[in-house]
Parts: sequence; structure tokens; C-alpha cells
Amino acid sequence: MASDGESKRLKDDQGHYLDAGFWRAVWVMAVISVVLMAVVVAYPIDPWFLPEASTTSVDIDKLFKFSMFFSVPILVFVNGFLIYFAIRYRRRPEDPDSAIGSQIHDHRALETWWTVVPAVLMVTLAVLSYFVIPEYYPTGQAAASAVTMEAIGHKFYYEFRYPGLRNSVMNDAHLPIGVPVTMDITSLESSQDVNNEAVIHSFWVPEFRIKQDMVPGMVVPLHFTPRETGTFRIVCTEFCGLGHSHMWGKVIVDSRSDFDKWYADQKRSEQAEAKGVQPISLAPGDAGAGQTTFNAKCVACHKAAPFEQKLVGPGLGNLFHDPSHPNLVTGKPATPANVADIIEHGAHGDMGTMPPMQVNGLSQKDVANLVAYLQTLHK
Amino acid sequence: MASHAATADDALYTEVAGQRLLGFLFFLISDCVIFGSFIFVYLYIRNASPVWPPAGVERPGLYLAAVNSIVLFGSGATMHYAMEAIRRANVRRFTAFTVATIILGCMFLSGQAYEYTHLHDTWAGSTFGASFFTLTGMHGFHVFIGVIFLITVLVQTLRGTYTPMRHFGLTAATLYWHFVDVIWVALFFLFYVY
Amino acid sequence: MSVADLGHVRTGHIHPPPDTFVKKYVFSLDHKVIGVQYFITSGLFFVLAGLLAELMRAQLTGPNNHVLSVATYNEAFSVHGSAMVWLVTIPVLTGAFGNLIMPLQIGARDVAFPWLNMVSFWMFPPAGILLFGSFLFGAPQAGWTEYPPISLQMPFGTSMWCMAIFLIGVSSTITGINFLVTIVKMRAPGMTWTRMPLFVWATGVTAFLSFIATANLSAALAGLFIERTFGVPFYDPAKGGSPVLWQHVFWFYSHPAVYIMILPAFGIVSEVLPTFCRRPIFGYKAIAYSSVSIGLLSFMVWAHHMFTSGLQHWEQFAFMALTMLIAIPTGIKIFSWLATMWGAKIHLCSPLLFVLGFLSTFTFGGITGVLLASVPVDIHEHATYFVVAHLHYVLFGGSMFGIFAGLYYWWPKMTGRLLDERLAKLHFWLMFISFNATFLPMHWIGLHGMPRRVATYDPIYASTNLFVSISAFVLGLSFLIFAYNALRSAKQGEVAGPNPWGGRTLEWMISSPAPYYNFDEIPIVLSGPYDYGKPLPYANIKPELATVPTH
Ligand code: HEA
Ligand code: HEA
Ligand code: HEC
Ligand code: CUA
Ligand SMILES: [Cu+2]
Repeated sequence: MASDGESKRLKDDQGHYLDAGFWRAVWVMAVISVVLMAVVVAYPIDPWFLPEASTTSVDIDKLFKFSMFFSVPILVFVNGFLIYFAIRYRRRPEDPDSAIGSQIHDHRALETWWTVVPAVLMVTLAVLSYFVIPEYYPTGQAAASAVTMEAIGHKFYYEFRYPGLRNSVMNDAHLPIGVPVTMDITSLESSQDVNNEAVIHSFWVPEFRIKQDMVPGMVVPLHFTPRETGTFRIVCTEFCGLGHSHMWGKVIVDSRSDFDKWYADQKRSEQAEAKGVQPISLAPGDAGAGQTTFNAKCVACHKAAPFEQKLVGPGLGNLFHDPSHPNLVTGKPATPANVADIIEHGAHGDMGTMPPMQVNGLSQKDVANLVAYLQTLHK
Repeated sequence: MASHAATADDALYTEVAGQRLLGFLFFLISDCVIFGSFIFVYLYIRNASPVWPPAGVERPGLYLAAVNSIVLFGSGATMHYAMEAIRRANVRRFTAFTVATIILGCMFLSGQAYEYTHLHDTWAGSTFGASFFTLTGMHGFHVFIGVIFLITVLVQTLRGTYTPMRHFGLTAATLYWHFVDVIWVALFFLFYVY
Repeated sequence: MSVADLGHVRTGHIHPPPDTFVKKYVFSLDHKVIGVQYFITSGLFFVLAGLLAELMRAQLTGPNNHVLSVATYNEAFSVHGSAMVWLVTIPVLTGAFGNLIMPLQIGARDVAFPWLNMVSFWMFPPAGILLFGSFLFGAPQAGWTEYPPISLQMPFGTSMWCMAIFLIGVSSTITGINFLVTIVKMRAPGMTWTRMPLFVWATGVTAFLSFIATANLSAALAGLFIERTFGVPFYDPAKGGSPVLWQHVFWFYSHPAVYIMILPAFGIVSEVLPTFCRRPIFGYKAIAYSSVSIGLLSFMVWAHHMFTSGLQHWEQFAFMALTMLIAIPTGIKIFSWLATMWGAKIHLCSPLLFVLGFLSTFTFGGITGVLLASVPVDIHEHATYFVVAHLHYVLFGGSMFGIFAGLYYWWPKMTGRLLDERLAKLHFWLMFISFNATFLPMHWIGLHGMPRRVATYDPIYASTNLFVSISAFVLGLSFLIFAYNALRSAKQGEVAGPNPWGGRTLEWMISSPAPYYNFDEIPIVLSGPYDYGKPLPYANIKPELATVPTH
């Protein structure tokens, strides 16, 4: 290493560079950091944190905010020094060509600091994060107190199974506020799937800050407690095919009494169904309204074009007027009632799965309108 | 061949052989990673499966494989003696041991072919078959390449390409052959014993 | 053997220069020509992959657009991501810069295995043709990560993807072996490990990662390919395989791969900074050894891409902690670079501007990486535009800025001519501003719930996406400035001379472009590479070549 004389000179050298200007710049950066931290954490200009609708979300946001306490100063200081040095130590026109900069090769103390401080920060962040993990992965006790239900990903909709309900609920899950839920998350079981089309989906409710991949053949319990009423989106974040962009569901968090009412309704309709299914009402529909619905809900999978032009499902342009396809995919003739049946209950065949009307968010009236619209098409 | 004074030419050879040797070692390491990756796949699937081997699948018998292993390890020994021989410039001894190695290698391959044709499971038949045939197939292919490699260096030696001082090709062939042996130890343990 | 003897022995490598066009420019064995071949080929792929990105942005200008069909959109982002990673960033940083610069910097006449070098280059164009050609057979749609089971259900194009990436994998394994042997065995006499330029350190670590991690990628791809082609069950849950298994083997490669894509850029930064600051680099050893520790750590963090795929509790914690550790060596680098500017004599030329851009944007991307590493936070952010923003901040803001810094820096060495500084600065500012305008807002929409890999989105994100798309078009245009500058330089660029920037590493001690043999006589190295203020550290370099320039 450097001889005594040299190291003394180096010290002077460094001292010379830590002048008043340097410290002034450090102060300016410190002030900017504090202001930015306050803006980011306490008074976000833009409400960039979504509503915190589950208990987990509160703790996750706290972690995020904690990260801001070191991220913001690091960014400010790195960029600040960059700009400050670039201006302060720029070569001036009067400098000779051979002018060179300082001869500082290293600096033990500085280097120790900038190794130890990030290390401490990272350990802290890891430990804090560690304590949040159990909030969404139930440990014994939490699991025991929770309502347990199932969420199953399909191409391209969600199926929810509630304890005590025989029928699954499609796409729109209802949950009571304040009750811990354990949701067993999985994908369509491949053994049930004739086309071997099970894929990975994902269950994400941004307002809950929780997400779990729905992996075929794997069941992962996920734990959360809703803490705000309202309707929140479920978004599929794992690429699952042509319908991935449209794979949205809803979580509807109700008050306890509203939820109980909804649950009782479900039960009642199951009983009614058991007594005998009502025929589909084919009140004459409005083709214009049908077209609007079609463009909103169906174009993701169907074109208004000949049968062969598939997206996910077949083209529907000649549905009622196609001699080469007199029958529907269900094998029944193309009559309005049979088409309405497909739209209402869905279908499952070589091409894939056509979701039922709950999934597409259709009313009986919409079904009638759609049938009316499809009848007007000749392509 | 008599020893001769080291010339600049020899020094160049040493330098180039040193580079090639290092390169060859790196190649073997990356080959190891490929085997390691498939072994990881095997262990992962095995670990995730409730029963092993999967229902309806029978594991291949131990005896044939054990005999085959002895054949392969024997070939490792003969290869070792072949290399010793060339260091002492004894080409006849080298030829004898190399031919023995080649024959043992071919015996191993025939044993494997016999085993393959007498198994019920197939490559696409089960998760066991998938890993078994992929890994032992890859290994068999390495043995096959090794045999070709040995035949090549044997011919070269007989033509006088190699000397006690200059035999990088032989070193590489030996290393390769021992490498293939070591891989087999792992595969034998995984598929027949464990 | 004495050092002088060794110098003599190395003359044995000299072959007469090739005389036919084919030997000189097509199947050339010269590392410099191969380097340029890599540049040209991946430059072409960059334009294609970039244009795909612009198409994607056109589709995303508004919700429910129909610029591309959903299927085409999926193909576009899959091929865009795959091409940018495997056909652009990796080949440019290893194949192009590694070939062009590394042998010069260690004072060698070529790489250890010139013939293998040529072979591994020639695997690269076919790989690109396979990847882009897959559009004719139904290109891959499941992203550059191609998770099964969906990737098992796609048409033949996905198999072509497997073949293409497999080829690239083999090519980069060979290149890795070649480079590491070159660095270990062929340094000029006197160039000890701690006298190597930092770019060589970075290239060495990258080479190590290339032949370890990439071999594993080849295995993973072979598995996917035979499963798709012969139905051999590895990853398909219906047959007892495991989709999560693919994620493990894929990320065991692809995480180290992201450091393959950044370490050489770090190396470029470490070269450019001391040259334009006219002072020794701060903390040479700290920078060199942190590259090594990043390289080793990178093998232990892969599952941070899988926090939502159902890992065990303790696995999540372990991978989170190890991931966060990487911030420490990376921070050491960033801070050492900043300290290099402390008390410097800064020549604010275009390569340095790109390096300053790099420091600013890469730090941002690294910090969003740390946010992603925290498991609970990642649970929210995973597979959203927040991740897309992170990956462009590190890959574009890091690797691409590094690549352009290197291009502007070594352009004179490559071509013998200078680029126009005013155009270069215009390029920098346009690119820097539009880059941030494109990718910064993505963090917000990601946190607000917009998933990645979607062709349409909730209308609440419409205005932000429109802004992003417009910025992306400007970003695309900024590259035209570079293209014009490059063409202009070829025609009327100022002749550069051997050392236009005042660099002190070996490549600047020979004429530009470097002569066929690189060095008439192999130099002897007497001390470290960046000691401005001391005499040049080489014993037998022609002094007239090493004069301090006037730029
Ligand atoms: C060049 C490529 C590159 C680089 C260098 C990095 C660097 C890092 N990345 Fe990134 N990453 C990608 C490319 C890259 N990444 C890509 C392509 C993806 C997406 C893949 C896909 O799914 O398609 C991804 C995704 C990704 C994920 C998964 C997100 C998800 O899908 O859920 C995670 C999670 O941990 C992560 C973390 C990190 C971390 C911690 C670093 C660290 O190495 C960063 C370290 C740097 C710094 C921290 C800044 C400098 C340091 C300081 C100034 C010191 C002080 C700092 C602190 C104390 C914080 N990355
Ligand atoms: C080095 C890596 C790299 C680079 C440089 C880029 C560059 C760009 N990327 Fe890319 N990107 C990735 C790596 C990269 N990307 C990866 C790995 C993914 C993940 C893929 C996946 O999900 O699997 C991704 C995904 C990705 C997405 C998300 C897709 C989705 O999830 O749905 C988007 C969306 O905006 C995007 C946009 C862009 C844009 C606008 C650029 C621009 O910077 C491009 C600019 C370049 C050009 C335009 C070409 C050259 C210019 C000209 C020839 C001039 C003339 C052109 C015009 C004026 C248009 N990228
Ligand atoms: C997620 C994708 C998807 C959506 C959304 C969708 N469908 Fe389908 N649809 C399909 C698939 C797949 C089939 C073919 C099923 C089969 O193979 O049996 C189909 C079949 C049909 C058929 C039978 C066609 C024939 O020729 O027999 C009709 C009618 C139909 N869909 C109408 C609609 C209408 C109306 C809507 C909008 C409300 C709609 N679909 C929305 C996927 C979808
Ligand atoms: Cu389901 Cu994406
Ligand atoms: Cu990673």
C-alpha cells in the first residue's frame, strides 16, 4: 500500500475535495429527499395506493412505504451527486490537455459505510417482510377460524365453490366483510378436462394486494380478510391464452346481512332448480341492443364472420344460414332456442369452452337480444 | 521415441495444449450441468409424486444394470492403463488396452440396447420412463461418442500423431471416458438403487 | 520460461491474412471481424424486435383497439421479449463487445479458439431466422418465459422457438468457454489478475455464467421440445409432470442470464468513466470482486420470479433474503463509480453521457428490483406492468445505455472514424427523456392493477397508456439519429487516430481500426490500467500511438 508520505498527501487531497460546496450539495439533497419522502409516503400526489380493502393490504402497503424511506434518498443522492460532480468537476476551457483529476484510489471508511448501510437496510427489509408472509399463508390457527371456499381458474373465467352450495358461482364472488377467508386456489383439474387444456391462471384482487397463481394439479390455500365493502376486480395475471386479456372477475364484499341474503337466494334458486328447470324465455329481442352486447362481450372470442374464422370460438356470421354447418357445436340444429341454450349454459367441445351466461355477465334479456342480432347476420 | 530438447515449438505446443485442456474441462463442466439439470428434473418429479415409481410402472431390473456397470467401470480401468502406456511410449500396450476399452464400451451399449428392448415402460409412457430414457439415452449417446473418439485416437496413435510429450488428444479422450463413467455412477444409483 | 520467451512463442499464432472475400468477411476467424458481424446481425434483430414493440404500443394506445388481433399481440410480445434478450442484448454484450474488445485489452492476438468462435457466430443468424420465421407457423404466444402447460398447447412455432433458443444457448456456451480460456491463458506477460481492465473482469464472469447457466437452459429447452414433439411427460400436469418444475429450471438459467446481460455493461461503464474523468477508477478491486460475487449470488436467487406459484413459506423467505443480498455488491459498484467522478476532470463526451444515463436509470431499476424482492410486495406487483417497468429500466436503462456508451466509445476503434458529437448528444437526450417517459408511468398503472401480457385493458388506464405509446414512438425515432450518424461517419467522419479519447487500456495503444495481428509485438504490462498521472504501464508500446489527444 501507499507509503506514509503518500497516504498523508492523499488525505490532504481528499480533504481538499470535501469543501463547503460539497457539503452544501449534500444538504440540498437531504432536503429534497425529505420532501419527496413526505410526498410519496404521507401525501401521495396521485392516490397511487389503491383502496386498502383487506387487512393484508395494510401491512403490505406499510412495507412498501418503508422501502420508500430508503429508496427515495438513495435515488436522490445517486442522481444528485451525478449532477453535482458532472457540473463541479467538468473540464474547463482553460484546462490544459494534460490536466488530470484527483489521485484517490480508494477510501476504507467510505467503502465500509456504503457496504454496511445497504446491508443493514436489506436485512431490515427482509425481516419486516418475513413477518407479513404468514398473513396470506394461513398457519394452523388462522385457518381454523376461516370460512373455507374454493376458487378455480378456467379458460377464461373463475369458478367459486361455497360450502353448502351445490352450484358453483361464476366469476362474481360474494364475501362478507370482516370474516377471515381461506380460499383454496387451483386451476381446472386436468383429469376433468377432455381437451387437456388446463393452464395456469392467476387470482389477483389488486385492492386486496393478494395474488396466487392457479396451477393445475396444485391447491394453494390463500388467506385474507376483507375490510371494506364494495366491488373489486379480480384480474388474471398469468398468461393463459387468447382470453387472458379479458379474464376478469369481481369480488363483491357485502355487509354480513347482505351476504346472508345473497347466500339464502342462492340456496333458494338451487331448490327451485331441483324442482324443474324453467324453459328459456324467448321473448323477441332487439337486434340493435344485441349488437352492442355482442361487441362488448363476445368479440374477444368470436368474429361476425364465417364459421372457419376462429378466434377462440367459431365465427358466428352464418350461424343460422350455413349449409355446411347445419348443426351447432352441441350437435343440435341451429334454431333460436338451441342457440339461446348455448349462450345461456355454455358449451364444451373440441374448440374449447364457451362460458355460460353468468360468466359473460348477461341477463335473460341480453340473451334474447343476442339471438335476435345473430339472426340478422349473413356473411 | 527418445526424449529431445525442448524447443520453441514444444513450448508453443505446451501452451496450446494447456488452452485446449482448460477448454475441454470447461466443456465437461457444462456437460455435467446438462446431466445435473435432468437429474434435478427427475428428483423433483419423483419428490412431487405420491408413489414412486408411478402406478403401473415397473423399474428396470438391477442385475443386468449391475453387470453393465462392471463392464463400464472395467473400461475405465483399461483406459487408465492405456494412458499410462503412452506416457511410457509403449504403443503396443496402449493399443491393446485401448482396444479392450472400445470392446467394453460396445458391450455396455449392447447391454443397454438389450435392456431398452425388454422394458415395458416407454419414453412417453410415464414420468419415470421420461427421465429414465432421457438420461440413460443421453449417457448411452455419450458412450457412443466416446467409442468413436477412442477409435479416432487409436488410428492417430498408430499413425504416430502422438508422442509422450504431445498427446493432448489422448488426454482429452481419457478425460471424456472417465467423465462418462462418473455420470454412470450417478445414474446407476438413481435409477436402480435409490 | 522467461517472459521474453513467451512473447516469442506467441508469434506462432500468426497466420497470413486471409485473401478471399469469403474468408475475410464471411467465415472470418478474426475476432474483430466476428465482433462486427455480431453487431450487424443483432442490430438487424434489434430493429425487428423494436418494431414489434412499436406495434404492441400501437395496439395499446387505447382499450379495445384492433390494430393487432389478440393472437398477433401475444406473438408480438413473446417474440419481442425473446429477441431482445437472446438475439440482441446477450449477443451484443458477449459476442460483439467481448470479441471486439476483450482480446485487445488483454494484449492477445486472438481468442483461444478462433475456429470455434466462427462456428458459434454462425449459429446465431439461423437462430434469429428460426425465431422470426416462427411467425409463419404460429409464433410462440406465452411470452419469453413460455410457461407450460400453455406452451405445450401452441402450434409448431413454439417448437421453432425452442430450437432457436437452443442454438443460441449452444452458441453462447461455446463463446463462454472460449472467452474464459482466453482470459485465463492468454493475457499479455505481466498482466496479473489485478492489472486486467475491468471490462475483462466482467467478461470473464459473464463467460463463466454463460457456460454454466446456459448449459442448463439447453437441457430445459430440450425437455420442452421433446415433450411437445413426442409427448414425453416432464411438465404436463395431466401426465404427472409439473408446470412449476419448468419455472425452476427456466429461471435457474434466466436469472443468471439477466446478469449476463448487465455485467458486461458494468464493464463498459468501468472503462468509460476513468477515461473521461481523467483519473484512476475508484475502488478497482471492489468493483472487480463485486462482479464475481454478483456472478455467484446470481445462481441462488432464481425463485424470486416464482413467489406466487405456491412455494413453501421458508423457500420464499430464503430466496427473498438472497435476492436482497445482490443489492450490496451492486451498490458497491454504483458508489465506486460515483466516487470516480469525485475530484475528476470530466470531459462530457457522448460515451460519458450514456454512462451517466446508465447510472441514473439502472439505479432506479435496481431499486424497483429490491421492491420486487420483498415477498409480500411482490405478491401484489408480480406479473403487472410494474414488472414490465422494472425489466425495461434494467434492460434498457441498464444494458442498452451501456451498449450505446460502449458503441460511442469504441466506434473509432472499430471503424477508424469518429461519430458526430452533436448528433450523439441529441440522440442521448432524446433517448433518455423518451425512455423515462415511456417506462416510468408503467410503474403506476402496474400498482393500480394493470396486468402484463394483455392486448386490451380496463379503460381507467387509457390516458396513461396513450402517453406511454406516444413516448415509445419518440423513443423509436431517437434510434434514427444514431443510424444517420453511423452512416454519416462511414462517409465523412473525421479520422480518429489511435487514441481519440485519451484511454489508457491496451486497445488504445494500437492504430484504429486495429491491425490484423493486433500487436506487432506482444506488450509487457507493468502496472494497472487506469493510473492517469503516471507513465503508461506498458513496456514495448510505440510511444507515438499513446499520445494524449486533443478532444
Ligand atoms: C439486466 C437485467 C436485470 C437486472 C440487472 C435485474 C436486477 C434485479 N432484479 Fe430483475 N428482472 C429482470 C431483469 C433484471 N433484473 C427481468 C427481465 C425480469 C422479468 C422477467 C419476466 O418475468 O419476464 C425481472 C424480474 C425481477 C423479479 C420478479 C418480479 C416478478 O415477476 O414478480 C424480481 C424479484 O425479486 C427482480 C429483482 C431484481 C433485483 C433485486 C435485482 C438487483 O440485482 C438490483 C440491484 C441494484 C440496485 C439495488 C441498485 C444499485 C444499488 C445501490 C445504489 C445500493 C443501495 C441500494 C439499496 C440499499 C436498495 N427482478
Ligand atoms: C433489452 C431488452 C428490451 C428492450 C430494448 C425493449 C424495448 C422496448 N420494449 Fe420491451 N420487453 C422486453 C425487453 C426489451 N424491450 C422483455 C424481456 C419483455 C417481456 C416479454 C414477455 O412478456 O414475455 C418486454 C415486454 C414489453 C412490453 C409488455 C408487453 C406485455 O406484457 O403485454 C412492452 C409494452 O409496452 C414493451 C415495450 C417496449 C418498447 C416500446 C421498447 C422500445 O424501447 C423499442 C425501441 C426500438 C425500436 C423501435 C427499433 C429501432 C428503431 C428504428 C428502426 C427507428 C424507426 C422506428 C419507429 C419510429 C417506430 N416491451
Ligand atoms: C371465452 C371465450 C368465449 C366467449 C367470451 C364467448 N364464447 Fe361463444 N364459444 C366459445 C367457444 C370456445 C365455442 C365453441 C365450443 C365448442 O367447441 O363446442 C363457442 C361457441 C358458441 C356458439 C355456438 C357456435 C356454433 O356454430 O355452433 C354460439 C352461438 C356462441 N358461442 C355465442 C356466443 C355469444 C353470443 C357470446 C357473447 C355473449 C359468446 N359466445 C362469448 C367461446 C366463447
Ligand atoms: Cu387466465 Cu390469464
Ligand atoms: Cu431474477
